[in-house]
Amino acid sequence: MSIMSYNGSAIIAMTGKNCVAVASDLRFGIQAQTVAMDFQKIFEMGPRLYIGLPGLATDVQTVSQRLKFRVNLYELRENRRIKPKTLMSVVSNLLYERRFGPYFVEPVIAGLEPGTDKPFIASLDLIGCPMETEDFVVSGTCSEQMYGMCESLWEPDLSPEDLFETISQALLNAVDRDAVSGWGAVVHIIEKDKVTTKTLRARMD
Amino acid sequence: MATVPDQAHFSRQTMNNNLVPEWLSAEHSTGTSIMAVEFDGGVVIGADSRTTTGSYIANRVTDKLTPISDRIFCCRSGSAADTQAIADIVNYHLNFHKMEMGEDPLVQTAAHIFKELCYSYRDDLTAGIICGGWDKRSGGQVYSIPLGGMCVRQPFAIGGSGSTYIYGYVDSTFKEGMTKEECMNFTANSLALAMFRDGSSGGVIRLACINEDGVERRVLKGDEIPRFFEG
Repeated sequence: MSIMSYNGSAIIAMTGKNCVAVASDLRFGIQAQTVAMDFQKIFEMGPRLYIGLPGLATDVQTVSQRLKFRVNLYELRENRRIKPKTLMSVVSNLLYERRFGPYFVEPVIAGLEPGTDKPFIASLDLIGCPMETEDFVVSGTCSEQMYGMCESLWEPDLSPEDLFETISQALLNAVDRDAVSGWGAVVHIIEKDKVTTKTLRARMD
Repeated sequence: MATVPDQAHFSRQTMNNNLVPEWLSAEHSTGTSIMAVEFDGGVVIGADSRTTTGSYIANRVTDKLTPISDRIFCCRSGSAADTQAIADIVNYHLNFHKMEMGEDPLVQTAAHIFKELCYSYRDDLTAGIICGGWDKRSGGQVYSIPLGGMCVRQPFAIGGSGSTYIYGYVDSTFKEGMTKEECMNFTANSLALAMFRDGSSGGVIRLACINEDGVERRVLKGDEIPRFFEG
């Protein structure tokens, strides 16, 4: 039994033209048994900044709560919204503090740079190594399947509507090949002026 | 002096490290939900269609309802390799038996051959089998041959990892004297509930009805699969 696949999860973030999207499955399970299908794994850290946390469910909740605490204090001291790249560094620090007894989450960050609204996505491993990419990031128990789907479906400069279709199909078909993720999915499309959240009709098996 | 990695070295590398995905070394398992129900004149058997290697779904359209003679089928759960091998051996024995006797084998005979294999090799096998069929002496029959190799006839049987979630449902819903259609619906609803809760079960529902006239197979996919409360 692997700790990272004890609960099961799948998260993808992708960039488009002046927008980003982040999507996750909704399953909360304990090994093979499914307990709930409304488990939140994507959390808002700012008006156009989201973090997705796949991995052990208890750490998903603890890390999101502790991170929000740090971000709140940052925004009070600096008197401004945190930038996506700075959030990535805060997460990296939070995770590396636990280098020899880590949180079992491998986060994914998606957002728009305040001011320029440039798309930003990044992912980190469980001990905080950051990786920033231009196209897409994936994390979870079906990461191999998600890499395959994203590599084939993604193309640069997708409009928000096309990006929604692309990220949805990538996630849905990847989790359909994983026994411990799926059971519903949610997508957030982040644009300059609004954030649209949609729940996907997915296979419930 | 250069050393050539041997077979053991390769398997040590593939087992339990972070460099190689788990599904390269995990065994194929038909995690599964399987079921069979007797009715007057035949049996209805059903199964899901998921085969997993670790948590990777290796086959999402598996056929776990395997014919072992013209009117006898088995539902397979546990190790895919073990159950396929056992079904092949039973098929061989029944063919031989049919040629010697000059008539179709009894379901009871098929079930007992399964039992012989599963009990004799119980320490080496992981196979949970439900044997269901029709013969002219006793009509429709269902026999359950779970892990240790016991064999017992039941009015209906459930098996596989998904069956644990539906014991309450089947016990409260089953009644004696159901018609063929009622049995089909009972099986479809039970398997749908099991597939919903069990991560190792899913895909499509395969059903088969075996009676004097032969075997009638159906597949329920997508929207045809019954849906219940989804939280």
